[in-house]
Amino acid sequence: MGNKQTIFTDEQLDAYQDCTFFTRKEILRLHGRFHELAPHLVPMDYTDDPDVKIPLALIVNMPELKENPFRNRIVESFSEDGLGNLSFNDFVDMFSVLSEMAPRELKAIYAFKIYDFNVDNYLCKEDLEKTLNKLTKEELTPEEVNLVCEKAIEEADLDGDSKLSFADFENMISRAPDFLSTFHIRI
Amino acid sequence: MEDNQRRVNFQRLSSEDSAISDDSCEYYQTDIYEHLPSTLSRDWNSIQSLKMLPLCMQEKRNIRERLHQQKLKIGHWESWRRSQRIAWRRMVEQLKGFFSRLLPWKHTLHKIEGRFGVGVKAYFVFLRYLLGLNLLNCVIIALSVLLPSLYIKKGGPHCNLTSKDNGSVLDVFLGSGFLERSPVFYSFYKLKNIDKQCLNTSLLFFAGMVLILLLSFLMIVRRTVVGYKHTWMTGNHFSMNMSYKVFCGWDFCIQDPQAAFLKHSFIKNELKMDLEEQRFRLRVSQRTLKQKVVLFFLRLILNISVLALLGGSFALIYYATIKSQNKLDNVHWTLKLLWEYLPPITITVVNFVLPQMFCVIVTFEDYSLTTQLNLTLVRSIFLKLASLGIYLFFLITYLTTSIQNPETEFGKEMYKLTIFHLLACFCNAFLVSFPRAWIVDKYPSSMLAKKIGKPEFVIPLNILDLVYSQTVTWVGVFYCPLLPAISIVKLLVIFYMKMFTVIRCCAPAQRMFRTTSSSVLFNFMLLLGLIMSAVTLGVNINMFVPGTCGPFMGDSSVFNVTSECVQTLPRPVRNGISYITSEAFAFALILAEVIILTSLVSRGGANRKTIERLKDMLVMCSSDKRFLVKQHATLIRRQRRIAPSTE
Repeated sequence: MGNKQTIFTDEQLDAYQDCTFFTRKEILRLHGRFHELAPHLVPMDYTDDPDVKIPLALIVNMPELKENPFRNRIVESFSEDGLGNLSFNDFVDMFSVLSEMAPRELKAIYAFKIYDFNVDNYLCKEDLEKTLNKLTKEELTPEEVNLVCEKAIEEADLDGDSKLSFADFENMISRAPDFLSTFHIRI
Repeated sequence: MEDNQRRVNFQRLSSEDSAISDDSCEYYQTDIYEHLPSTLSRDWNSIQSLKMLPLCMQEKRNIRERLHQQKLKIGHWESWRRSQRIAWRRMVEQLKGFFSRLLPWKHTLHKIEGRFGVGVKAYFVFLRYLLGLNLLNCVIIALSVLLPSLYIKKGGPHCNLTSKDNGSVLDVFLGSGFLERSPVFYSFYKLKNIDKQCLNTSLLFFAGMVLILLLSFLMIVRRTVVGYKHTWMTGNHFSMNMSYKVFCGWDFCIQDPQAAFLKHSFIKNELKMDLEEQRFRLRVSQRTLKQKVVLFFLRLILNISVLALLGGSFALIYYATIKSQNKLDNVHWTLKLLWEYLPPITITVVNFVLPQMFCVIVTFEDYSLTTQLNLTLVRSIFLKLASLGIYLFFLITYLTTSIQNPETEFGKEMYKLTIFHLLACFCNAFLVSFPRAWIVDKYPSSMLAKKIGKPEFVIPLNILDLVYSQTVTWVGVFYCPLLPAISIVKLLVIFYMKMFTVIRCCAPAQRMFRTTSSSVLFNFMLLLGLIMSAVTLGVNINMFVPGTCGPFMGDSSVFNVTSECVQTLPRPVRNGISYITSEAFAFALILAEVIILTSLVSRGGANRKTIERLKDMLVMCSSDKRFLVKQHATLIRRQRRIAPSTE
């Protein structure tokens, strides 16, 4: 290739290309985006794998995430410490899962994590209520919220414990053909 | 301890125990999961599955390192095969990326999707698909019709066209004068022999047209089937699912704050409507017998009135067709233009007014909101295709009995339909939608603005419009061979006009548009349009008395030309063709198709049952797995507790 870039070693780029759904060019572009979020924190030279994390507040201001009601949960699910501080690895991972080429199963796993507000690996009624309030900006009356959550759990719950495990969630998602087209962010 | 408990378990989604387990328990759970056969087999697969692991980046890189090290232990042959597979996959991905970049308007459609959602984008994608289809048709016509005719300049029977030499702008709109003598219409092409008896321009003409219809048919069937397979596999229960709306409702592509606000109110309205529908269903189940009888008679009367409206509009179309065929001569050009364009004007007016009346009628029939919308849509579809069909029926009946050059007249009518459709779109965009939006923007609090409101981009009706225009193109292509080229120009203009309308004038829709199930419906409508045009072509070839001009004039009708060609072929080929076109072969073919269809349908039913059973098994197996892992972890924990105490 023509330009010799000095941000990553060739081996690193190969590793990224194999572990994500991005090509080399896209990974370099992602690094540019990551850098402009916090130019003083993020080094331009990643050949020695520096341990740099960008805080949650800076990431949720990205134009791709700014209008998303679940932006905090998305960033928290992909961070290693669960608080939303993303390293470049996590950043690339996040957009790789949310890209158009990620398969349904992978997206379902992460969608489940995102909607699980209390991180107990179940989608209980409180998780659904929080999801619904974020979706409608709290404009539904409490009885309506209650009705909707009850109906949603009733429809998807397979093992009858009135909360959704991952298997229930995945079964419900597999019947929703628009899931792939809505659950994706383009960067 | 609390931090560890709150740490998101990136490795797997374990069961209830993770809420009460401590650090060591998680570690042991991790340990056993790594030795499970399913995890191990995943590692052994090629790099492709590495991308699909739900692990964080560092874990994936570790696995990749391990994979590479294992590669060193495998022989050279195996590692070379693996690297070839990786290189091949990367090349395929690059090719796919390259081809997707070739598609035009990618960036524009991306912006539209961000602001208006997936439904509006689906309309423009459909438009782009029709553009590609017409381009293909154009190429086929250029090769099989235009080139032979323009290449052989001399020869062919003499042809007397009875048209005046006006050469005015009016000719462009009416298809008369210089346009009639140009390659645009049927009468330009003559029967010229190129080489042997079989190779003449007329046969190439016919073969080109048949090829167009066949190719279009194959492409659309493939598109319909692909969409239908998807809907069929996922089942049709999703549209009523509250859970689906909650979890898949938000479109993650949205970046515009205005669009986000609209999407929020969208979802809220959807949920409110769903709750309303639940209440409606409750009310329906509580209807008394007397109410049901009254409702039945009311619906009967309303359906009869709908049929009466349809009948009335068909009668209107009939009168317009008959009247417009009596050409006026010594009048002002505007009146002449209006008179000639009477049928297209009638059809467009009918298709504009009647759906509004259907909307009003359906509110009295006491159905749920979704059923109301579907019913209106079905009635509009029927109206659009049937009005075109009725028009063609009366036109062909008239042309068969009265006119000298029926083919060219028919081509001219289709040409006029196409031109008028473009004019109607233009008027709708600039004389109806734009003023409405302008009034609402400039004087938002006035009575007028509140009454009319901003126009809404109703996706199904717009797609129906596209299907109609494509059907007209197919019907007219035999008698107006350059119609696909005109159609391409028209579609390009419509693309930019609709883009202008959507971006500048429209208020976003209040109801979510189900792209997948509706796309099956619209592809099916396109198929219906294609079948209608094929049937019309067959009827035309049979019924029209050949005129004085064209590739199949006088003695050399389509049948004569083809049979002459068949006679010159060698004997075995002639026998083969005569056998294929006989009734016995057709009967055998139909029988074979019925048998294959029955077996496929029964296999489909069996597959569906299997899918349901497998889904149940999957749920059972994963809960078994979680239970066993929990037991294992508890045992290990107990052992570890006992072990230090015995030391």
